[in-house]
Amino acid sequence: MKRTMRSHSYRRRTFLGRIGAAMGATSGLARKLAPMYALAAGATTSARAAAATTGADVTKAKSEGNVMLYTSLDTKIVDAIIKPFQEQYGIKVQYYRGGSADVSSKVLAEAAARRIQADIVDASDVGAFLAMKRLGILKPYDSPAAKDVAADLRDPDNMWVADRLTQAVMQWNTKLVGSAPPQHWKDLSDPRFAGKLAFFSSTNGDGGPRLYTLALAFGWELLESYAANKPLRVATPQLVSQLLESGERAAAFCTNDNIAWRSKKLGKPTDYGFPSEGVPTELGAVGLLKDAQHPNAAMLFYDWWMGETGQKLLVDGGKYSSRSDLAPPSGNPPLKNLKLLVLDYAKYQAQRPQLLERLTRIFGGEWGA
Amino acid sequence: MRAAAHVGRAGIATGDVEASSVARDAIRAATLGVAVAAFLLFVGYPLCWLVLGAVGLPAEFSPHSLVRAFTRPENLGALVNTALLAVGVGLLGVVLGVPVAWATARTDLPLRNVFHALVGLAYILPPYLTSVAYIILLGPNAGYLNRAIASMGIHGSPIDIFSAAGVTFVIAMHVYAIPYFLTYGALQSVDPSLEESARMLGARRWTMLRRITLPLVAPAITGGALLAAINSMALFGPQAFLGLPAQIVYLPTRIYGALGGYPPRFADASALSIVLVLVTVIGLSVQRRYLGRRSFVTVGGRGARPARHALGALRWPLALVFLVVVASSSIAPLAVLVAAAFSKVWTEPLTPDNLTLSNFVAALADNQIAARGVVNSFELAIAAATLAVTIGLAIAYLDLRSQLRGRRLLDYLAILPLGLPGTVLAVALLQAFVRFPVPIYGTIWILLIAYVARSMPIAVRGANAAVRQVDVSLEEAARVAGASWLTTIRRILWPIARSNLMLAWLLVFIPALGELSATILLYTNGTETISVAIFRLSDLGQLEVVAALSTVLIVVILLATLLTQWLAAGGQRTTSDATSI
Repeated sequence: MKRTMRSHSYRRRTFLGRIGAAMGATSGLARKLAPMYALAAGATTSARAAAATTGADVTKAKSEGNVMLYTSLDTKIVDAIIKPFQEQYGIKVQYYRGGSADVSSKVLAEAAARRIQADIVDASDVGAFLAMKRLGILKPYDSPAAKDVAADLRDPDNMWVADRLTQAVMQWNTKLVGSAPPQHWKDLSDPRFAGKLAFFSSTNGDGGPRLYTLALAFGWELLESYAANKPLRVATPQLVSQLLESGERAAAFCTNDNIAWRSKKLGKPTDYGFPSEGVPTELGAVGLLKDAQHPNAAMLFYDWWMGETGQKLLVDGGKYSSRSDLAPPSGNPPLKNLKLLVLDYAKYQAQRPQLLERLTRIFGGEWGA
Repeated sequence: MRAAAHVGRAGIATGDVEASSVARDAIRAATLGVAVAAFLLFVGYPLCWLVLGAVGLPAEFSPHSLVRAFTRPENLGALVNTALLAVGVGLLGVVLGVPVAWATARTDLPLRNVFHALVGLAYILPPYLTSVAYIILLGPNAGYLNRAIASMGIHGSPIDIFSAAGVTFVIAMHVYAIPYFLTYGALQSVDPSLEESARMLGARRWTMLRRITLPLVAPAITGGALLAAINSMALFGPQAFLGLPAQIVYLPTRIYGALGGYPPRFADASALSIVLVLVTVIGLSVQRRYLGRRSFVTVGGRGARPARHALGALRWPLALVFLVVVASSSIAPLAVLVAAAFSKVWTEPLTPDNLTLSNFVAALADNQIAARGVVNSFELAIAAATLAVTIGLAIAYLDLRSQLRGRRLLDYLAILPLGLPGTVLAVALLQAFVRFPVPIYGTIWILLIAYVARSMPIAVRGANAAVRQVDVSLEEAARVAGASWLTTIRRILWPIARSNLMLAWLLVFIPALGELSATILLYTNGTETISVAIFRLSDLGQLEVVAALSTVLIVVILLATLLTQWLAAGGQRTTSDATSI
């Protein structure tokens, strides 16, 4: 990872820059368009600032009456964001909630059947958005509400914009690890964690990207030492939290920061940490469907979702917002204080089958390879 | 329809009867024809798409996936794990189910009705919920049992539910109900005169059990073991909940892995499911060969129940042993779930401080999907059970009462969905109905089709067992006496076969109410089921709310079961006179 990051970091210095570099590398076209995009963005900045908080036709949106959201976000956060929107506009928000891979494959399946039912899609899976863009099923939208998202965190053609960042952290049961909680990734290699570790990945290998990021940064031996401790593997970070809260396992690697945050906030006997040597980061993104049945309501809701109210509610649920003007979740460090390890999605997609097979060899089990 | 050509083998007819037999044949042909057509559309047509998918169609023809399915070491490992699971569950299912069935059906064991109900409860509990409960009970570190063992000073987590043995155990604790119920039904139908003759000839109890009773019910036992074994291979829930954390992979898990990502690898998944289908067909032919050597007509139209054996001094000790088995499969997981449903924190003991009703409010009032799911699941399960048993009855009737060519093939086809994990059946249906002229994809109808298709094996086996109970001579007698086909069905077949058909209906209805693995790929906004709501909440780690919803589901199923039993018992009384025309 170090080598990968160095090769990109000459272009942009911020962590966002590294993400952008990874994004840009996904297509030669995007790289060529980047300077043009920068120009266009500069030209429209003043116009955008003057525009209303939505680019949608509110009357038309209201007459559509409904909007269909597909999301992988925790339902508690989704419910919180939807409620004031419904009250303000009288537009009913229906949603399908599943894991990132569920959301992506449902949209792609509907697209294949030419029966798109989603109006707007949100998933913590930039790879899927790249695939959707390639298939031409997304609708470009330069949302005024997304202007506070750094240019590096959005598609140059405005097909999608990042809405949140999820960090892979260490989490542990405070009663079981006692006075010496793990601080660094290598601490979990210790034999004292034999039979006491947990991590997550569903059968399609959705835990793969972060493990790959970790391996590139700190060596595959790190993952092999985890495997030697026979970690228990569940499908979601929520279930990792459950294992730790019940005391079934003592510590977990690469779980989601917001889930660990919530567990601690609810007073469960857990705590978590962002290792100073670096934490893998994953982008969530949102986009509009080209064949949406409620196009105006979808735009209006998109603006709400990305707007200050929506994103603040997201932060209240423990997520880091992609908006540069919003504070981190309470008690969490600002992103600039963390060393974020960013995955080169294009590289990952290209090597995915081999990498998943490697993870299968290391951990055993099903990785969708 | 060739079935129509063969009507009334006892055709000693006068002119009048012959005239009406034309109309009667038309009704029979039309009824059976519609049922068979529906069956072929629900099972045959999607299976065609599964086979086409395995060779890469409609995109391009390629044997690549099919070859890989049989040659990759990962697939071979999964196949071996799956086969071991099936054998283990089949054996364990018989070991657990048959003795209890014999004791409740044929002895003076105390609490027989309780045992019977508890086995039913074990089958009612959706296996993914049983798995969750057993993690709480037998988890290596936090599980109640291991904590108790550790508190006695023995460390090292001796019992690990996250293992191949754990998966086998938890699945067997669910599906042993199948050999139990089939054996129980058969034992109750045994012609008492056979045992009486043996007794009069001086046979001792064990000799009689071994030489008379067991051979008579052997088809039910092997059939039950086979159904349990095949069922176990397709039960994705426990395989995922208990196998995956320990990195143990089964064929359905591999298929799920192939489908879960994007682009979904339909060809790989289809090819792997064909491996499962092959295993199923082999199992079925073994059972058929075995059954073919025996006669299974055990009811001669008389309603007499065989006498119960006195267990004597063994009465209570046996009851205690059986109680441990039966309670571990039903009460224990249920108690864990109910306790969690009323807990603020499920890991803490159920003290007054920890008690709450808020999980039920969260499950039923705050969660729109859950409320809608309860309604949808109910409608779907009732419709699916009725449709499946009707189609099953038609297929069983054709198999046993006609000379129609291809009737065996129908029977084989009907058993195939057992070898299809719900996930795979869903993919077959998706591929089939995306291209269908009538809009079924993305509606509640595709769920109904999935449920009916999934339950065909149980519906057909159940109907088959029911029809086999009726000696063909009774129907022939009715026909000779001039009764129409429908009258014969209504007055002869139905009264005798009814309790078995009701059982088949229940055996379809109950799993349909909690069906998850196919639903999860086929539902859409507005057609969520209770299982979808449970799965989604479980994914989000809200175990207390999941437990509350599960409790509601289980209570509803229990009420439905009691209602059905009450109806069946009531019907028995009112129509018992009708059995003698």
